[in-house]
Amino acid sequence: MNPFFLLSILIFLPLLGALILLMFDERNAEAMRFWSLAVTLMTFGFSIALYFQYDPAQGMLTAEVKDWIPTWNVYYRLGVDGISLPLVVLTGLVSSLAMVASWSITKHVRGYLILFLMLETGMMGVFLSLDFFLFYVFWEVMLLPMYFLIGVWGGPRKEYAAIKFFLYTLAGSVLMLVAMLMFYFYSGAKPESFNLVALADMASKGGLLSPNMQVTAFALLFIGFAIKLPAFPVHTWLPDAHVEAPTPISMILAGVLLKMGGYGIIRIAFPLCPYGAQYFAYTMVAIGVISIIYGAFAALAQTDFKRLVAYSSVSHMGYVLLGLAIWKINEAGDTINSSYWQMGLNGAMFQMIAHGISSTGMFFMVGVVYDRVHHRDLNKFGGLMGTMPLYSGLAAGLFFAGLGLPGLCGFIGEVFVVISCWSFSPMLAILAASGVILTAGYILWAMQRVYLGAEYKGPHPEALTPSNARENAVGFILLALAIVFGVAPALLFNVMEPSVKAMAQAAEAGYKQSASQLNELQAQR
Amino acid sequence: MVGETLRNLLMIAWLLPLCGFAIEIFGGFWGSRKSRLAAWIAVGCIATGFVCSASALLIWGRQNEWVVLDKAGHGHDEAGHSEGENHAAPGHEGTAPHAEEHKEEPAKAQEEKHGSVAGSGSYLLTSMEEAKADQTAKQTVFSGTIYRLATFGGLELSLDYYIDSLTLVMFTMVTFIATCIHLFAMGYMSEELTEEYVDHHAHLRNGHHLHRPGRFYRFFAFLSLFCFSMLGLVIAGNIFQVFVFWELVGICSFLLIGFYTERKSASNAANKAFIMNRVGDFGFLIGLMVIWTYFGTFRFGESHNAEGQVTQAGLFQMLARDEAGNVTKSAENGEVVIGAAEASLNPVNSRKTIPYFLLVVAGLGVFAGCIGKSAQFPLQTWLPDAMEGPTPVSALVHSATMVAAGVYLVGRFYPMFVQEVLLTIAYVGCITLFVAATIAVVATDIKKVLAYSTISQLGYMMLGLGVFGWGAGLFHLVTHAFFKSLMFLCSGSVIYGCHHEQEMPKMGGLWKKMPITAFTMLIGVIAISGLAIPGLINLSTVFAFSGFFSKDAVVATALAFVKANPAHFLLFIVPLITAGITAFYMFRLWFYTFAGKPRDMHVYDHCHEAPLIMTAPLMVLSVLAAFCAVGGEKGPLFLLITGDQPGHVAHGISATNGLTLPGHDAIHSVHGQAGLLALIAAVSGTAIAWLLYGTEKVNVAEIKRQLSGVHSFLANKWHFDDLYDAIFMRPMHIAGKFCAWFDRTVFDGILHSAAKITVFVSQWDRKFDETVVDGLVNLVGNSTWSVGNSLRTVQTGRLRQYVMFIVVGVVALFAILITSFAG
Amino acid sequence: MSASLNAYLLVGAVLFICGVVCMATKRNGIGVLMGVELVLNGANVNFVAFSKFTDLGLDGQIFSLFVIVLAAAEAAVALAIALNFYNNHLTIDVDRANKLKG
Repeated sequence: MNPFFLLSILIFLPLLGALILLMFDERNAEAMRFWSLAVTLMTFGFSIALYFQYDPAQGMLTAEVKDWIPTWNVYYRLGVDGISLPLVVLTGLVSSLAMVASWSITKHVRGYLILFLMLETGMMGVFLSLDFFLFYVFWEVMLLPMYFLIGVWGGPRKEYAAIKFFLYTLAGSVLMLVAMLMFYFYSGAKPESFNLVALADMASKGGLLSPNMQVTAFALLFIGFAIKLPAFPVHTWLPDAHVEAPTPISMILAGVLLKMGGYGIIRIAFPLCPYGAQYFAYTMVAIGVISIIYGAFAALAQTDFKRLVAYSSVSHMGYVLLGLAIWKINEAGDTINSSYWQMGLNGAMFQMIAHGISSTGMFFMVGVVYDRVHHRDLNKFGGLMGTMPLYSGLAAGLFFAGLGLPGLCGFIGEVFVVISCWSFSPMLAILAASGVILTAGYILWAMQRVYLGAEYKGPHPEALTPSNARENAVGFILLALAIVFGVAPALLFNVMEPSVKAMAQAAEAGYKQSASQLNELQAQR
Repeated sequence: MVGETLRNLLMIAWLLPLCGFAIEIFGGFWGSRKSRLAAWIAVGCIATGFVCSASALLIWGRQNEWVVLDKAGHGHDEAGHSEGENHAAPGHEGTAPHAEEHKEEPAKAQEEKHGSVAGSGSYLLTSMEEAKADQTAKQTVFSGTIYRLATFGGLELSLDYYIDSLTLVMFTMVTFIATCIHLFAMGYMSEELTEEYVDHHAHLRNGHHLHRPGRFYRFFAFLSLFCFSMLGLVIAGNIFQVFVFWELVGICSFLLIGFYTERKSASNAANKAFIMNRVGDFGFLIGLMVIWTYFGTFRFGESHNAEGQVTQAGLFQMLARDEAGNVTKSAENGEVVIGAAEASLNPVNSRKTIPYFLLVVAGLGVFAGCIGKSAQFPLQTWLPDAMEGPTPVSALVHSATMVAAGVYLVGRFYPMFVQEVLLTIAYVGCITLFVAATIAVVATDIKKVLAYSTISQLGYMMLGLGVFGWGAGLFHLVTHAFFKSLMFLCSGSVIYGCHHEQEMPKMGGLWKKMPITAFTMLIGVIAISGLAIPGLINLSTVFAFSGFFSKDAVVATALAFVKANPAHFLLFIVPLITAGITAFYMFRLWFYTFAGKPRDMHVYDHCHEAPLIMTAPLMVLSVLAAFCAVGGEKGPLFLLITGDQPGHVAHGISATNGLTLPGHDAIHSVHGQAGLLALIAAVSGTAIAWLLYGTEKVNVAEIKRQLSGVHSFLANKWHFDDLYDAIFMRPMHIAGKFCAWFDRTVFDGILHSAAKITVFVSQWDRKFDETVVDGLVNLVGNSTWSVGNSLRTVQTGRLRQYVMFIVVGVVALFAILITSFAG
Repeated sequence: MSASLNAYLLVGAVLFICGVVCMATKRNGIGVLMGVELVLNGANVNFVAFSKFTDLGLDGQIFSLFVIVLAAAEAAVALAIALNFYNNHLTIDVDRANKLKG
């Protein structure tokens, strides 16, 4: 298929579907749901087609560039490579599954579905655009439907959560905007450009920003993306947003939106400011480690099931940051242990996908019981293994995936990141590794309180009916994927590895150039 | 290719239980609760696995003409190879495969020619042709890659296989015992074959017992999954893969301990087991990280390409040892030299040297994993709690196989351990075996006694490995697997017969009711106690059950070690005393349960012997428990196990870092002495047990009262649980609560105060807007309005008036024009 | 002898003044209309006179033709308004038409 068509349809098919939704009869909710499901499934199908069309050896698969705002050198520029492709497929998948999970939404169904599809457009756009301006636009496009989806269809404190989410993310994107303009006006590029590929190319030759500017730009970008990730000090929007958001939205939030932070770092921050990235490498690893430990401890203390899963996301995304940043150099500015860094990068990418599967599943599983008994208090559960056996089995599988059990996807990401970390900093590696104990602690304890035990201790025991076919299907698909990626991680690594390697090498070269520029400057003084 | 045949056979044995698991768990869920099909599938899978493993062992032996057994003739030194010459080509010196450190001697050309020879098979040879014939015939170690997980630059992670005599023995042992236990479990778990099972240990809030559907299928599915994981651990060809299956056996153990999910105690025990194992795994991960960073590979053995040529050295080839068996240090920086003899074979990312302390860290890290898995001090407390699982689980997972995996890994990873690590292993084993044995003395739950005994025996194994008795430790592993699984099954039979009564004080005199169980149990007890009848002519021809030989080997090694290093005398004294304690508590158990008069007539009256499907495995296992170690250290089992022992083990390591590790000769010289001492200890322990519990002439309760302080200290398990609760669990929860509180108050507090400040500022902003900005605008509007208001009176609507205005206006204009022109 | 430009202008001015006075004094709507016609015709006289006595050519005549046409149209509309006004109010007294008073 023509890449331009394929990439564009991925982005705009959901939007088209949302427009067609307007023609449906407001009262016929079922038809609208099926239509939306069909649209998300079609999008997922196209993403699979893209997966098969993409050849890892070729690097970036770019689409034709179209004019958009030529006066300011803004173009409609799309492309996909090994870094974004898995995330695109993940987006298609999680959206479809979340749509299946959306059957439980009964309030203002049409509005919900339209916003949902717009959200998917935004997410696809973020992963597919290669123009910084376009990226920024999609970043904001995705933000607004999310705000409404939490704010209208959420739980009791929905307004608070929605505004918190919105403000945090907006603060991040403002910083990103500043950095974007820095690249536009202060880079040596003539004519000025938002073209991410060209900017990255310049950066790898040391010609984009001066080292000091890179440090500033990277800090701005990093804060923006760290909020989304979310990393330790700026993570508090996540538990609230998750707790208040309806189940399908939690799935998307955990499954896709958090990945945008990691994706932004690896797609924009690293290639465009290699010097800045190296400058902050230790800080980032430290933040990652703190997120792992802090998130795990916080999860240990939760009594709200969904909040616990939300904190587990903080903990798991810490591995992503850790893996991305274990970039070590020697005095001469040459990267040492490059293979270990690449392993960390790949592991971090894998962890994003793995977390996308396991935590989507975990949130879904929480949602299934919430739909039945309408509470999430961990101390008022118990005995679900007896009343909902199949559901409990699937849930246990997905929680084990989150726990990092070998043979399931979570293990590969976590362990690859951790074992490649020693070459960067033994102390941080040991701290990161200690996360495995805490993770086991909070997940097993939560499972014990919810699924095990003699009987259910909370309200509405009569509502605990066995899971239906729709719920089982979602659970099965996610668990099957968790197993597939856990057993055959090469499926993903084969796609990601060449692109990640190219990125790493370009960043290494860029750092070397910038460092030598800095040395010359100092020598002149 | 023999290697491929072996690999395929073992992979069938390994993967069949996985297929079984998938079929059982889903088939069982949607199938009838009363069907035994799941059990038959599980038995079929594991029995086929046993057949495959056994035939692999036979094929392996035939292709190398049972070369390892030939050592029987030469004893422990390499001088006498008279018997070996019957089979082997002349000039082949010492059939024991030497370790990698002698690798330099065979020329590189040889390696290229015989690339298919894996890791540790290298020989001193006189001529190349003979070498070729000899090596292809005598190859005992096979390694290779099954499946590649990921590659990053020069780093490669894969699933490998590493097959040597130890692997094959373990495979055969595990599959055999597992088959027996599966059959036993079919009887033991038959109560679950119902639509409505009543769990008498799980109480509902309304005081009733829990009723639930039977879960027969699920038990067997989990057992199959466990077998898969355990066999994967044994076949693993790299340390990462060991870690993978290490975790998987951990989760299987979690699932099986928590099989009665409704019981709070069971799920607590399951969590405790998994989390404590994770503590060990944390150390394991650190070990992995060090190895990965410095060696750049996880593989034990060499890698080969399609033509069978060596492409990359494994870990065991990379840690070179000198003649004395010590690691070599670099002249430049004093760090330990690593890397294969052939530099081109080094993994791409391996470094040239590693600091000595990091080598120790790596060893201790991996050993930390073993501590967790094998329930060694200080992580031993989970194993007794794990007895919450059904008894077949205790027999399979928590005595014979999984907990022995730690010992197996120490044995497997032995070439990478340096002296300090070995000493740690020895002391950990020593502490464990004593602590656990003392607790076993006062335990009254029949399974708990066996659990503590398991911990204690695992301590013996660790001790044996730690004092350089590689063969002794693993020998004890295999014999212990047989007699301990036997005893657990016997206890299972007792519990089944007594309708889930586990407290020994309520038993007694069961000998008459369940003779088969009592008799087979007695065999197990004798085996573990290490009783023997010394030969009349000389000591080397004792008649004894398996436990005597293996424990004797451990004790002898410890004695040799202590003789060489007198400072560590406790390493011999403690196990010797504990051998007596072992005999005491095991016979106590037997007398308590089977001998004497019934103490609780209700239990006694309803007690009955188990059906044949349960007693048959007991009988089979009792035969093996008795005779598997026949011949002792010259018998086939020991020789098979040690067939591919690490090269530096045979000679020992002479004093460096203040520690001398005994070689075979040193051990052999003290063997008789040690055996005698151990026997004396065992006999006295037995005698005391008989006095106290067999004769019923001594008032045990009075002794207990006299020593009540000691008794309660032991009955509280040395207060380890309380200690851990105080120093780990509570601080963990407090830290967790603190983090949650910190999040809510500090982070959200900052956010909220920022929000409040914003609101405050915007309120002022609003006031400013309302007064100043709006005031100005309103002023303009008001004045416009008032002007318009005053002008509105002019708008009379009278036409004629307007005309007058026009006229007046025109006249006025004229007047102005005229005056201005005139002016 | 032909009349001078001033004579024409004088006639125009008289007509204009008469018209204005008529508009200002008549309360009858029709009378006001007649005053308007007088004013327009006064202007026409001026146009024609200037056209004749200066070098404007025919421009003045054409303008006056336009004015006549427009005056006719205006008279038609105004008479229609007056008629309508009469229908509603039974009078055509312009002082009574004060609906647009501010």
